[in-house]
Amino acid sequence: MRRRLQANAGALTNYEVLEFLRGRGATSDPMGCLGAVTPSECKVYDWLVQTAACNQTKESIDEFLNKAEKFKLAKAEKLNIINLRPSNLAIIDPIIEYGEKRLAKDEAKGIDEVQELVGLVLEVLPPPPPRPEDEMQGQEEMPTEKPLEED
Amino acid sequence: MFYLSLIEHNLHLPPHLLNRPLVDAIKDELERLYLDKVITNLGLCISVYDIRSLEGGFIYPGEGSSTYKVVFRLLIFRPFIGEVICAKLKASDATGLHLTLGFFSDIHVPVHLLPKESEMGEDGIWVWKHEFGDLAMDLDEEVNVRVTKINYPSIPVEQDANAQPFAPMQIIGEIYGDGLGLISWWAD
Repeated sequence: MRRRLQANAGALTNYEVLEFLRGRGATSDPMGCLGAVTPSECKVYDWLVQTAACNQTKESIDEFLNKAEKFKLAKAEKLNIINLRPSNLAIIDPIIEYGEKRLAKDEAKGIDEVQELVGLVLEVLPPPPPRPEDEMQGQEEMPTEKPLEED
Repeated sequence: MFYLSLIEHNLHLPPHLLNRPLVDAIKDELERLYLDKVITNLGLCISVYDIRSLEGGFIYPGEGSSTYKVVFRLLIFRPFIGEVICAKLKASDATGLHLTLGFFSDIHVPVHLLPKESEMGEDGIWVWKHEFGDLAMDLDEEVNVRVTKINYPSIPVEQDANAQPFAPMQIIGEIYGDGLGLISWWAD
C-alpha cells in the first residue's frame, strides 16, 4: 500500500517550514487560519513564530552559511545553529561536537574561533522576538501619577 | 528538526470526492490519512509538502473508488540525535522532567540525564545544587535539551483507566552539560 522511497529527502530549517506554512495561509490568529491550514499545522506555526526563525530571512541565512564556511561545521551543526541562534559561548558549546579539537583557540595569538562563530551568529542572524513576560514587565514599570494638589 | 520524506502510496479515492478537482481531492485524502500521525522510525507528520507525481486512476472490479499511485513529500518532525532544542518545562516528577513544544508534548528528561547534583524538592520541582548555589527548575521555563534517543513504543494492548494517554513517539533528552538546561542559567 505504502512505500517510503526516501526517508530523508532533505532537512529543512525552521525558517523554511515557517515560510511554507505562511505560504499556505497560516497566521497567528487562531480563527483566521481555519480554512487554509489544519489545527495541528496551526500549532506548529504558533510555536515557530516565537522562535528565532520568526525574524529570519533567506538572505540572512545565506549570508550566515557563506561566512561560516571557514569553520567547517557539519550540516547538522549549521542547521542547529540557525534554528537555535545561540547568543553566547555557553549555549553554542553543546551544538558543536569536539569543539575544543576542531575550532582553534590560542590566547597567545589572539585566535578564538568559537567566539568568532558566536559573533557571526549575533551579527548575521536576527534575534528572536521578545517573550511576552518581558513585555509585561516593561508595562508594570509605568510611572505613578502625581497626586493632584488641593487648594 | 524538520525533514522531508518521499513517500509512494496507492491511494483509494472514494467516489464522493470525484466531483472535486483531482489534485485537491488527493491532497485532502492524503492529509486525512497522514497528518498529525506518527510513522514509526520516520516521525510525526506535520504537513503534505507537495505532490510529485500522480498515476493511475483505474477502477478495479468490485470497487467504487479509483486507485491512484501518488508520489509525494511529507513534512516530518523528527529531531536528529544530538540536536539541541528549546522546549518549555511542562511537568516535573520523580521520573524526571517533561517538556513540551506546543505541538509535541512527549519530551522526557529522565533522572539520570539531569545535571549531576540535582535533587527533587517536596513539590516535585528539581533543584540543581552546584557549587555556586541552588538553581530550581521551575515550571513554564524555557529549557535547552539535547536529544539522545527517540522511542517509538508499540501500541499497548491494555491500559489502566487513568494512565497517561499513549505516546507513539517519545523523545528522550539530556540537560547534562554546558549550555543545556534552563536558558536563564546561561543568559548574558
